[in-house]
Amino acid sequence: MSADTHSHPSYVKIWGILVALLVVSVCGPMLGIKVVTLITAFGIAVVKAYLVTKHFMHIDVQPRYVAYLLLSMVAFMVVLFAGVAPDVMRHDGLRWTNVAAKAEVARGGHGEAPPAHAAAAKAEAPKPQAQPVSPSEGAATFQTLCSPCHGPNGDAQGPVAAALNPKPANFTAPEFWATRDRAHIEKVIRDGGPSVGKSPLMAAFGGQLDPAALTKLVDHVMHFNKAGVAPAPSAQPR
Amino acid sequence: MQKPIATTRSATGIPTGKLAIWWVLASEIVIFGGLLVSYIMNRLGHGEWGDYAAHTNTMAGAVNTFVLLTSSLSAVLAHKAADQKDGVKAARLLRLTALGAAVFLVIKSFEWTHEIRAGYTITKNGFWAFYYTAAGLHGLHVLAGAVIMLIIAADAAKNRELQRVELIGLYWHFVDVVWIFLFPLLYIAK
Repeated sequence: MSADTHSHPSYVKIWGILVALLVVSVCGPMLGIKVVTLITAFGIAVVKAYLVTKHFMHIDVQPRYVAYLLLSMVAFMVVLFAGVAPDVMRHDGLRWTNVAAKAEVARGGHGEAPPAHAAAAKAEAPKPQAQPVSPSEGAATFQTLCSPCHGPNGDAQGPVAAALNPKPANFTAPEFWATRDRAHIEKVIRDGGPSVGKSPLMAAFGGQLDPAALTKLVDHVMHFNKAGVAPAPSAQPR
Repeated sequence: MQKPIATTRSATGIPTGKLAIWWVLASEIVIFGGLLVSYIMNRLGHGEWGDYAAHTNTMAGAVNTFVLLTSSLSAVLAHKAADQKDGVKAARLLRLTALGAAVFLVIKSFEWTHEIRAGYTITKNGFWAFYYTAAGLHGLHVLAGAVIMLIIAADAAKNRELQRVELIGLYWHFVDVVWIFLFPLLYIAK
């Protein structure tokens, strides 16, 4: 026997405790109380990890430096979190904006728009035919999909706009409408900026919108053309 | 074949093989820890991920946790049997542990199939990207552990290299510990 042999506790008993803790960690969050969820899910995870490490891995009978080695690695993770989390958890600062993160929050909707799982459920179910779309739905879709860049008023003052180059289109500018008609707007929304030789930062939303919703969204964008400017027949978008 | 000196010496107070496993596990802490820490900081910055997490199958995750905890029990019992020089019993328990790994992977494959068919793919959004990356990397560790365990069991059944039974056990318990943290992060925090 080598010097590092050790006694063996009742492993079945420890396994029983671990399984009981698992049951608590699953049942606790069912109460729907946030503090209870945190304690039962994550607090118990720490206890379970301790039991496995102590009794199954026998960390306590190893030379002390083994525990120090492992704890050093855990400490590195704490340093990583402390150093990076402030930038990841916030989505903008004085001179920067995390465009991708803001766009993801906007897509998720946080209750304002259909979350991704609703879109997935829609993919499973047969598409409703000629589903009625309320006039306000165009505005709601605009707020969700377009306003992060184009601004809630269509004036290109969205929270993400400052970080974009080229800047998003300003729908309130008459010169914008001097070179664009309804078909152009619909094409850009459906197929993205590159489809008309414009910025790839303007994503294609055709896959997320059924025809009725697309029409309502185009209606809403067109309503920003307050002056009723119409493009000349030969006009090309600048 | 003559064994390398490093295999048998223990200048650090523990056999070199065991020292190597501890170093492997130390590096694994950084690999999984980096991933989980990145997930946590993103999760805290994206309230909407809670909606996405609501679509993970808590019961499948819980059953898989039970499977891994039980396989950890058989792994440590295999270590005990190896300590008692009972290679045949150790091999049998190691194979039982590998069976636990197989059950874990089968449950996970059913779970993933259902989720992918529902449209929740790795490119869906940040949450699902982390979900598949973290659980996938863990699944690869489960698979690798099972394969190594079967190789060690083949030797142990002939009462050879019994010290390796404890070494693969250490790795296996670590894989269990990683899942103990993945389970609440991906399945319970909704």
